Amino acid sequence: MAKPSKKQHYKLKDNIAGYLFLSPWIFGFLLMWLVPAIISIYYSFTDFNLLNTPSMIGFSNYIRIFTQDDTFIQSLKVTFSYVFLLVPLRLAFALFVAMLLNQNHKGLGLYRTLYYVPSIIGGSIAVSIVWKQFFGNKGVVMSLLGLFGVQQKMSFLGNPKTALIVIVIMGVWQFGSSMLIFLSALKQIPNSLYESAMVDGGKPWQVFTRITLPMLTPTIFFNLILQIINGFRVFTESYVITDGGPLDSTLSYVLYLYRRAFTYFDMGYSCALAWVLVAIIAVFTVILFKTQNNWVHYEN
Amino acid sequence: MKTKREIHAVIFHIGACALGFIMIYPMLWLVASSFKSNDTMFQDAYSLIPKVWDAGTNYRSGLEGVGNVSFATFFVTTVLVTVVGTVGCVFISLLAAYAFTRIKFWGSNFLFGCVMMTMMIPPQVMVVPQYIILKKLGLIDTRVALIIPWFFGGAFFIFLMVQFFRGIPKELDEAAMIDGCGKAGILFRVLVPVVKPALVTASIFAFYWIWQDFFQPLIFMSTTKKFTISLALNMYLDPNSYNNYGGLFAMSVISLLPVIIFFIFFQKYLVNGIAMDGIKG
Amino acid sequence: MKKRTIALLLSMGMAMSSLTGCSGSGDSGAGNSSAANDAGAQTGSTAAQAAAGNEGDAITLKFTWWGSQSRHDYTQKILDAYTAEHPNITFEPVPAGWDGYFDKLSTEAASGSMPDIVQMDYLYISTYAKNNSIADLQPYIDDKTIDVSGIDESLLNSAKINGKMAGLVLSTSLVTFPYNPEVLQKAGVEEPESGWTWDEFIAMNQKLKEAGVADAAVINPSLDTNLFNYWVRQHGNQLFSDDQKSLGYADDQLMADYIRMFKDAMDQDLVPTPDEMEQIDTLGLEAGPVVTGEGAFTQNWNNYSTLVASSNDKIKMVTPPTIGSEDKKGLWMKPGMFLSIAETSSHKKEAAEFINWFLNSDTANDIMMAERGTPSSSIARDYLTGSGKMAPQQQDMFAYVDLASSMAGATPAPDPTGMSEINKAFADACNAAFYEQMSSEDAAASFHKKADEILARNN
Repeated sequence: MAKPSKKQHYKLKDNIAGYLFLSPWIFGFLLMWLVPAIISIYYSFTDFNLLNTPSMIGFSNYIRIFTQDDTFIQSLKVTFSYVFLLVPLRLAFALFVAMLLNQNHKGLGLYRTLYYVPSIIGGSIAVSIVWKQFFGNKGVVMSLLGLFGVQQKMSFLGNPKTALIVIVIMGVWQFGSSMLIFLSALKQIPNSLYESAMVDGGKPWQVFTRITLPMLTPTIFFNLILQIINGFRVFTESYVITDGGPLDSTLSYVLYLYRRAFTYFDMGYSCALAWVLVAIIAVFTVILFKTQNNWVHYEN
Repeated sequence: MKTKREIHAVIFHIGACALGFIMIYPMLWLVASSFKSNDTMFQDAYSLIPKVWDAGTNYRSGLEGVGNVSFATFFVTTVLVTVVGTVGCVFISLLAAYAFTRIKFWGSNFLFGCVMMTMMIPPQVMVVPQYIILKKLGLIDTRVALIIPWFFGGAFFIFLMVQFFRGIPKELDEAAMIDGCGKAGILFRVLVPVVKPALVTASIFAFYWIWQDFFQPLIFMSTTKKFTISLALNMYLDPNSYNNYGGLFAMSVISLLPVIIFFIFFQKYLVNGIAMDGIKG
Repeated sequence: MKKRTIALLLSMGMAMSSLTGCSGSGDSGAGNSSAANDAGAQTGSTAAQAAAGNEGDAITLKFTWWGSQSRHDYTQKILDAYTAEHPNITFEPVPAGWDGYFDKLSTEAASGSMPDIVQMDYLYISTYAKNNSIADLQPYIDDKTIDVSGIDESLLNSAKINGKMAGLVLSTSLVTFPYNPEVLQKAGVEEPESGWTWDEFIAMNQKLKEAGVADAAVINPSLDTNLFNYWVRQHGNQLFSDDQKSLGYADDQLMADYIRMFKDAMDQDLVPTPDEMEQIDTLGLEAGPVVTGEGAFTQNWNNYSTLVASSNDKIKMVTPPTIGSEDKKGLWMKPGMFLSIAETSSHKKEAAEFINWFLNSDTANDIMMAERGTPSSSIARDYLTGSGKMAPQQQDMFAYVDLASSMAGATPAPDPTGMSEINKAFADACNAAFYEQMSSEDAAASFHKKADEILARNN
């Protein structure tokens, strides 16, 4: 993936080997991704309600998205706010906890497990019930605020101004998977590097900025890309906790396109929405990939 | 010096436990609710200690399963699907990640772009075309349909391993090459031991994701006998009628246990990658 | 390490070969015998469709429904009982939860593989009917395969879409106001009687509030259009125009009044705000305030007291408030659920026979015990009433149908296509007013505009 120079010469042997190693993935890719993707692009140019025979309508769906759809704009706003709030918070928190858990203490396995649990029970019904109670009118958070004299009439999940923040907090709460990835990257940093830094008399902060952080950049890069992509595709949280409400204030883009597809029988339009989203995510991803030469530290 | 260390340790454990409680509270709530009687469950929803204990009924009805199919059947299917899916997913992703990082071949950039692209498409619009393809292949409502979406690797896993491979110096490969290793030899004898933490992480994720996979299986599967646990759980609820929350929560608890056990077992391998020491020094 | 790798590769290889084996040989794979059998039966009988209907031909009917655990369990018993009576008919049951049921059904429809018999909801039936995904049942009604003599005609015709009988209505429900008599008694409020007015309703709640009842009327006026539909009808209008391309009323003041009445009630803390309502809903039906005694009134369907009976068996039900002497009888028998037959089914006749049995037979009703709602057919209602097996709440549920029929007007035409989008637009408009982002008038106008757009696009 290192950018090949313009006239890269590939060895036949390498070409064969490369495709041999990739062949199982390519098989699955063609079957489950490429062909379905082409079909769904085709749908995006048709009037297709799942029950009829798709009929071509050119760019109408796309035109409708950009000219007539207020909900599209609302869901885009929600999704952008979600991504830009959640990603930095979750990554910072995940890295912080991973660093803490990378020390020599007893019971680290237990803590890792505890912290990973929210990512396991994720969007289950139990979580949604607990979460609604927690931030509800009679919930713990309200009672705590009451103790400090803050009286609020509306619950946090019921207030269009704060509901999204609760969803973001829930996202941060599920930092377990990012933490795990950081942790496994920390484990891969050779001890010898730390030892030599200690010998040179480096202070902990210096060790962190000069050794740990640079060695972690490939993983930070990975987590960043991943979280941005997944953030744009957020569905479960807003589906399970608030179902997009109140007043569409937590209506994520994918929840909206899901509704379009299956609740409103508007699959053609939904496919168009999906490909607009892919384009948006792709722009962010490509920009990030372009910047990686400036800050991501690879060993080759 | 020693006391300072001890104080540090105490602070660490207090903080870690406090955070741990917040993290695990919903799980505790779930377990507590699975012991509550179905009729009073939500009347003392705020309490972790049941007013009316009825664990027996809940767990019995949970284990009985639904529609003449026992929980054990769902469990066996889920284990089978998850194990085969995880092995295929991690292994094939490993092969792909190796090719992307260690072999220079025509079209690799383009194909990597394709990998990333698969992560960006919302699955909600892919499910209908996928259904049509699987139906043409006669795979709808078979357990193969549960495995296929995972078996051939996934963008997340490929990208994860690519990032880890790129953190490993190429000198390692070259040394092995001089020793007469082929490409497969380099991958399995030299690189795999080094990226073990990444493989463990990938396995943990794959295991859990396949275990609780819901949307595609929901669409692809019809016969109750072939359901996974997450599909079976969904059959407990109909907002318009009386719901067996007790059985649902009991079954949720039982179904989450394997994932947690798998995690506890595998996280032990998240230890320092010894292999790289000494090479860098 | 090496050993492990080889083992891994071996297992991979095996998995691979089993995979390709399966996809290569199509549906003859031994591992998935029941699916294979079904596929075989389906294609086999398409070829021999002319022979279909012959007594003795072994036929498999695929039947899908949504529900909770108990419904899945007893429906299986009903199917077994039918097979015992008709040994040539076996079933391939596809029970499902509500969540995702219609996602799956539409995906199956998209690929022409809908189950033979489908439990259908009022929200979606017209979409399926207009796209010719479900078969016309009228021929089977005409030739007496399905006995509909016990079903109220306008209720039966609620599935008549574009001149086609798109489903057989299985159950019916009516808007009702359940209440907790103990709470009323404690607050010294007399129990309401059928024919009470909205003003009386509000006055009662004010009294309840003064007596310290936390949630006087647990009503969600923006949940969907049903209560509003009642409001529109009792004012002598209809919600949708006859051609279903626009709303059926002209004056937006109608909706503005509806919103204002509930907004005022919310301001007086008589009715929960959407925010509070959301949290009450989280507790589930059985732990709702009216059941636990923290609330007095709620609005629901006439099977409500049956659903909550295991938590509180004292709940009573009354018809919704009127607007006084001007009242135009807004109630109607709302179809609960339908059974439809897929257009692609090759056993329509057998499916119709089963539906008839499911609807009318004593055996089926004995097992079902009205769990799917008040049976639409009086044959089933009479049988159950006479059987003496019903709980008091179920008797109330049946009695309500008779009570309400004196207050019911004509059943409206089937809901138009795009109904779920209409419901969403309605909730958005109401909530915007409840959240004080819009005046009642603006909210009413914005719903009108949005609804007309949706209706024009879909119908």
